[in-house]
Amino acid sequence: MEKQKLLPVWFRVWKKAFSPYWYFIPLFAIVGALMIYPLVDGICLSFWSKNLMYPGKDKFVGFANYYRLLFEDKLFWPAFRNSIIFTVASVLFEYLLGLGSALLLNSKHVVRCKNLLRGIVLLPWVVPIAVNSLNWRWMLLPDYGFVNQLLRIFGLGSIARGWLSDLRWVFPTVVLVNVWRSFPFYTVTILAGLTLIPRELYEAAYIDGANRWQVFRYITFPGIKGVSTVIVVLHIVWTFVNFDVIYLLTGGGPLHRTEVLPTYLYQQAFNYFNVGYASSVGTFIFLFLIVTVGFYFSKFSSLYIER
Amino acid sequence: MRKESILLSLLWVFLLSLALSIVHAQEITLQVWDVFDPATSKDAVEREKLLRKFEEENPGIKIQHNILTYSDLHEKLVVAGVAGSGPDVLHMLGEWVPEFVLMGIVEDITERVNTWNEKQFFPDSTWKVATYKDRIYGIPSIASPRVLLYREDYLKKAGFDRPPDTWDELRTVAQKVTGVVEGVYGFGFCSSSNAIRGPQEFLPLLWQTGAEWVLEKDGKWLPGFTVTQAEEVFALYDDLMNTLKACPPDSIGWEWQELDNAFVMGRIAMCYNGSWMQLHEEKAGESFKHWKGTRMPANKNRATYFEVKVEGIGKFSKYKDEAWKFLTWILGKDQMALHTRHDNLPARTDVISLPEFQEDEWKKPFFAVIPDGKSFPPIPMSESNKAMMRELQAVLYRQKTPAEAAESLLAMLQEILETINE
Repeated sequence: MEKQKLLPVWFRVWKKAFSPYWYFIPLFAIVGALMIYPLVDGICLSFWSKNLMYPGKDKFVGFANYYRLLFEDKLFWPAFRNSIIFTVASVLFEYLLGLGSALLLNSKHVVRCKNLLRGIVLLPWVVPIAVNSLNWRWMLLPDYGFVNQLLRIFGLGSIARGWLSDLRWVFPTVVLVNVWRSFPFYTVTILAGLTLIPRELYEAAYIDGANRWQVFRYITFPGIKGVSTVIVVLHIVWTFVNFDVIYLLTGGGPLHRTEVLPTYLYQQAFNYFNVGYASSVGTFIFLFLIVTVGFYFSKFSSLYIER
Repeated sequence: MRKESILLSLLWVFLLSLALSIVHAQEITLQVWDVFDPATSKDAVEREKLLRKFEEENPGIKIQHNILTYSDLHEKLVVAGVAGSGPDVLHMLGEWVPEFVLMGIVEDITERVNTWNEKQFFPDSTWKVATYKDRIYGIPSIASPRVLLYREDYLKKAGFDRPPDTWDELRTVAQKVTGVVEGVYGFGFCSSSNAIRGPQEFLPLLWQTGAEWVLEKDGKWLPGFTVTQAEEVFALYDDLMNTLKACPPDSIGWEWQELDNAFVMGRIAMCYNGSWMQLHEEKAGESFKHWKGTRMPANKNRATYFEVKVEGIGKFSKYKDEAWKFLTWILGKDQMALHTRHDNLPARTDVISLPEFQEDEWKKPFFAVIPDGKSFPPIPMSESNKAMMRELQAVLYRQKTPAEAAESLLAMLQEILETINE
């Protein structure tokens, strides 16, 4: 106490005002080193012509990489379009499947083995992505893959095909695998949201003569809207930057039919070693996601607040 | 008294850690990055034993063995190398050498090799792969040419008592063998976008037309083929896949796993393949005795892909002398004879000439085609490989004619070479 009094007043005020922030330093240091620095470095790199094979020939090129990306690169726009379709289709079907399975698991009709069923639904999500994707790759093999064998057993051999080599089917197949892998996350999260809705609301609605659709529309859906917004935003980001599923299944082929921006970035960085150009692809992804997620929040957060 | 005992304890801790660090400092650990996985290869089991033996014979050196797949190894070497670190000893595919030299992640060992008295036991063709611009960056370890691997029983059933020797014969045999047993196709090949094995099959076909991928003239690299020559290659693929329907219709985009499995399962009668197929002997069962190897069918020339794998020293290694000691030991005659005995082929001539290698029926056709063997040109090949496979897929999916694909391949190569020449 005596010692405290000896300290100058300005120091005591300063210490009191800033002391909470000291505790943030470890967090800022880690986030700064692992997130901010690589991000800033990547953005800076995107203004350079830099190829790992020619270390002495780095050159500042301003926006030339972006000009090439947006106006000259024949593969960029198809990859961007694929990324958007992949993201929208994946998130949409994941949400519908997750919502459906969550409602089913929350239903009073499913009483037996509820926990076991919840565990089983979660399985695709807990298996590591690499294992998942490689399993699917083998299951989708044309001749001795499990999927085609199953189709043949059920007399549907005529629709058996090379799912990952057929130009028309490869993209839907990749989306399907991604949906299968990700929907359990929606199930679990929505299920948690459902359990928070008070039972009395349902009882009151049924007494007032509401049908099932009305109950879902006016009680269930508003009850899970907050949770839905969060998981949809998270999955838009995760799916748009998803690399491993497509890379392990098709490598972006055949004929770039499943090429998305992350696989294109990887190809530029690790096959051609054009790290400057790859950084411009990465920066584009980053900016696109900032705008998309910002737009999504500005549109839907108001609905959330209304509630 | 209490203070004294605390001080004494701290002193003891300090002395103990000092002693430990001195002991530790005397022992060095060599980081070895390669692909030799004892779980999948008998040769890798032998190699693992040899690593332990090296440690026993060299008490001050420990080996930390990191096993990766080829694609992971390539990626990790690039990332680590660019960041200024990496292994002490690294395993490389021959075509990686130019890239890694340009990136500055592999050590120039020319002087060490030139004074090494065992250099003479490695053929010049293998040293050529380890060399970039007259400097040597590694020691050849495995030298494995490709053969036409075929099922003798299928061919006999279709009325052929010898394998095809020319492209025309290949077309005929592949077509006739297709369907000789239900579900069997005459030929299979790789055409994956990942471009690992595909280019190793494509380039020999191009060489067989009398062409090269690139030629060096006045210090500049130029395309080594004409549109007609590339068109011939694309036309062969197109004939086998689309016109003659001699390949599994869903095989477009196959990578090595699918190809190797299709042959093991007896789904295809012929393919270009390497000595590692012996790994599947057990899985193939009875049919293995019908597996035969022969020279790749010729066009104007005879050529095959000579895959040379190289082991080098990491540029950022702190223990280059120890790494060299390890390399020259593991690639010495006795050691190489052990770790290339089964599914690999040795790079050393004095190992090849050992009776157990000469009398090995499986290895014989591979040794026989060594004179036809050629390796990738000494330029970075990643972009070229992707371009080859992209155009090949366009032909197989009938998005382009062979002539159109040949034209765009040549145009793409010219663009790639512009960057390399700069």
